[in-house]
Amino acid sequence: MLEILQAVLVGPVKDMIGAPTFLVEVVIGGLAAGLMYSLVALGFVLIYKASGVFNFAQGVMVLFAALTLVGLMERGAPLVAALALTMVVMGALAFAIERVVLRPLVNQEQIILFMATIGLNFFLEGFGELVWGSNVKKLDVGIPDSSFTVWGVQVNRLELTAAITAALLVAVMAVFFQRTRIGRALRAVADDHEAALSIGIPLNTIWIVVWSAAGLVAIVAGIMWGAKSGVQFSLSLIALKALPVLILGGFTSVPGAIVGGLIIGVGEKIAEVYWGPLVGGAIENWFAYILALAFLLFRPQGLFGEKIIERV
Amino acid sequence: MKVDGSPGLTPILEVQDVSVRFGAVQALERVSLQIRRGEIVAIIGPNGAGKTTLLNVISGFYHPTAGRILFEGRDRTHLRPYDVAALGIARTFQNVALFKGMSVLDNIMTGRLLKMRGSFLLEALYWGPAMKQELEHRAFVERIIDFLEIEAIRKASAGRLPYGLQKRVELARALAAEPKLLLLDEPMAGMNVEEKEDMCRFILGVNDEFGTTIALIEHDMSVVMDISDRVVALDYGRKIADGSPDEVRADQGVIDAYLGVSHA
Repeated sequence: MLEILQAVLVGPVKDMIGAPTFLVEVVIGGLAAGLMYSLVALGFVLIYKASGVFNFAQGVMVLFAALTLVGLMERGAPLVAALALTMVVMGALAFAIERVVLRPLVNQEQIILFMATIGLNFFLEGFGELVWGSNVKKLDVGIPDSSFTVWGVQVNRLELTAAITAALLVAVMAVFFQRTRIGRALRAVADDHEAALSIGIPLNTIWIVVWSAAGLVAIVAGIMWGAKSGVQFSLSLIALKALPVLILGGFTSVPGAIVGGLIIGVGEKIAEVYWGPLVGGAIENWFAYILALAFLLFRPQGLFGEKIIERV
Repeated sequence: MKVDGSPGLTPILEVQDVSVRFGAVQALERVSLQIRRGEIVAIIGPNGAGKTTLLNVISGFYHPTAGRILFEGRDRTHLRPYDVAALGIARTFQNVALFKGMSVLDNIMTGRLLKMRGSFLLEALYWGPAMKQELEHRAFVERIIDFLEIEAIRKASAGRLPYGLQKRVELARALAAEPKLLLLDEPMAGMNVEEKEDMCRFILGVNDEFGTTIALIEHDMSVVMDISDRVVALDYGRKIADGSPDEVRADQGVIDAYLGVSHA
């Protein structure tokens, strides 16, 4: 019994202290992976905040954005032009979604809107493959997937670029949503549709803005994931990893999505590296879900979500 | 009945033969009425008479199945709520609809959204004309806050306020839009006597100082008699009386509607 405790509690900690550089590398790797989860989760949060819709299609939007970018580049467009065109495409998609999906369903139950996004999910998946084909594609954004060393710690160039880009994106969005009139309108819509309408906020415009922002986030996430593991159908499944992030951070909180992603990224890497050997590995695959389950039991609103208070 | 207490006033809003039907329920049936510039009109009636439906039709949340609505002489029957707001009609809701997560100040500032113009980039940087604009709107909002005597709670989170104060903040948000016509759905519901007196004072003050036309739904008859220039009574979706408070109070149809009448 004592040996088991020793192996579970003391051994891994000893390993960590014994090789601090390696620990830092593991944490950095975790942060990088976590940021990727955060990016996907951010797309969910934006849409959920503004319209109370859980967008099942967010993962496929990431895939679709990456497919479009790669497809355009395969047809000879330079990276910058392809990126600009992809943004236009995602904007057009947001516009179309508002017109075809959201507008006819205004004031419907949440579950109906959710079902509509499931439909959207399948449509985008099929449409993407129809236009761009279903082969695994290589996305080359000109940043080598190689490492350099700072103070004895290995840092991956691609991951570092991804981290900086994601941080910039989040900062820009935070300023936009906090400071501008559209941001104020958006927070109003998120809080109460009826009241927002009554003070003259056009819901439709806000929805287009929000879905476009989610599309932009999808592009960045798509590029980062695509550059790492190739653009293929499984890209849409990273949405599944975003779910525990949302439960941790709270569905309504932008900082929550970021912090939640980082916690899960670092947590699963550390668990895998230090505790993995004890249980034969593969902790990375389920760690996030167990953590989410614990949160659901003890703090269902997440770290930063609005506290659920029912006035009786 | 069709007399009114203040002749010579032009109508700001005309409701013409408006019917609203939800499935088998006829919520409003050929209701016609006028709201005249500068007056306070009370809409009364028993529960389910169609008062809130009428307000929802005027503010664009529902669209009439038949009939027309004219605002300042122009047909605007089928406008959406945000277009109606842009025309200068503001409203409050029966069950307070505040942005509960925002501060009182932010709530009231959202009322100014329609008045704001300019570049998002400048707003994001909080620079130049954008800053000037924000400060101007802030100044206006502070005037309303003074007027409604809610200085003490301006930083508080709206959702945590007691009900009476929430109603007052909702009124402040509506006023921030500088409406020509203000629609109040039961502004005094759930208030104690003192809060009601305050609210009466504010409503009369808004009407006096800003010249805002006000239509309100209210159940408390003593309040209605005190503050309104004119009273419109509804019952089962039909208009049964329209006139000065005294006339409507004496109207047999209204008395029957409220007290119930035996059909024996």
